[in-house]
Amino acid sequence: MGNIFPRWLNLLPVQALIGLGGIGTLAIAVIWYSFTPKYTRVGYQPQQPIPFDHALHVGQNGMDCRYCHSHVENSSHSNIPNAQVCWNCHGPGKVKSDSPKLEPLRQAMDPNYEKYTGQPIQWVQIHETPDYAYFNHSAHVNRGVSCVECHGKVNEMEVVSHEKPLSMSFCLDCHRNVESHLRPLDQITNLDWSAHGMDEKDREAFYAYVADKAGKPVAEVKAGHEGKEWSQEAMGAYLKDLWKVNPPQDCAACHR
Amino acid sequence: MRWFFLILFAVAVMFAVGIGPRGEKFSKPPLYVFNDMDWQDKLKFQKPSEFFENGQGARKPVANTVPIGYTFPTSPDSAPAESEYFLNGTFGDYYGDGMPAEVTVDNALLQRGQERYQIFCTPCHGTSGNGQGIVSKYWAIPPTANLLDPRVVAMPDGQIFWTITHGKGLMGPYNGAIPAADRWAITAYVRAMQAAGGSK
Repeated sequence: MGNIFPRWLNLLPVQALIGLGGIGTLAIAVIWYSFTPKYTRVGYQPQQPIPFDHALHVGQNGMDCRYCHSHVENSSHSNIPNAQVCWNCHGPGKVKSDSPKLEPLRQAMDPNYEKYTGQPIQWVQIHETPDYAYFNHSAHVNRGVSCVECHGKVNEMEVVSHEKPLSMSFCLDCHRNVESHLRPLDQITNLDWSAHGMDEKDREAFYAYVADKAGKPVAEVKAGHEGKEWSQEAMGAYLKDLWKVNPPQDCAACHR
Repeated sequence: MRWFFLILFAVAVMFAVGIGPRGEKFSKPPLYVFNDMDWQDKLKFQKPSEFFENGQGARKPVANTVPIGYTFPTSPDSAPAESEYFLNGTFGDYYGDGMPAEVTVDNALLQRGQERYQIFCTPCHGTSGNGQGIVSKYWAIPPTANLLDPRVVAMPDGQIFWTITHGKGLMGPYNGAIPAADRWAITAYVRAMQAAGGSK
């Protein structure tokens, strides 16, 4: 009886292992790269019914975020403004009131307009947490977390897009390292602010603010910081102590 | 085996090209393969709902609804939680003057008023209240009021509050965006600006 199996078959088990390893590596690479919000959500830039330009309104005209998102400090939900808010400036006889881009606004607001419906403008939501995650805007905004931490520099976006992944690990990265993300409350909606931009005068004002709120003399507040370099972390540590910020890391903090 | 690796490489390149880099702009809704109860059938802020006929999740209050915490003044001596003057700046058909009993005028109130003024009022009335905000400057909306004008200085406090609440002329109502207590803080801050800036 001769050899049934040809000689090259001896290598088959090894080749099969290498081959499966290659396919497995490729599959893992694809899943690792593209199955997380860093890939699936970042860059989402839907077309809105009115091409509202944040770069123009906030960046150039200097409007505050809270002019439109007026309930962000009091509510878990940061509201999309109702049509009346647009109408305050873009109503009849006011700024660019006959622009064709504002057609949906006139449909919602102008009873004299032939296509008046009175129905709200259907903005497309970009940033969205899953329904089992309860994010509270007011809790963050009132404790020194700026809009920019989660939404990016909206004041430079002509069309808003999803800039941060907003995944659970994104939340936890900040909750575990909160000093890097706190800032004084009056700079919450100043998206271009950074701790490095604070000069000597700003720092003195900051120490005075902390001392005033904590009820301590300024010298005592400053003493804890002598010889250290000024940084976001150093400043964040002050605010963390001042407000007793203790971001929860247990499941029930966000999932109910 | 060489062929296998070549094909694997080709497939890898195809995936790489098909997937593209992270953070690329796209306008279609993100794809969800496993929904994992991400989107549940419950009413959410400012979201549509198929349950209601007009498709809106948010409901309008029924006619004559009274907001929680509001008690109607029954007689002049009764002391309701929030008076008509606090909520509207008026007593019957007349504007009132002075701050309502619910509001204490102190440094904190003026700072709050300054912050709120800069958020809501500066676009038209300008940082100093002179009516030269960005809107008036660039789009020449004609009659933006100069808050330092003697006409406004002479107004009773209730009228300024009423104007913020209901709007006037081209100005829209701000009762939806600014709670009553903050509107009083703005009123107090407008008074402070007038005192500081004189009538010019």
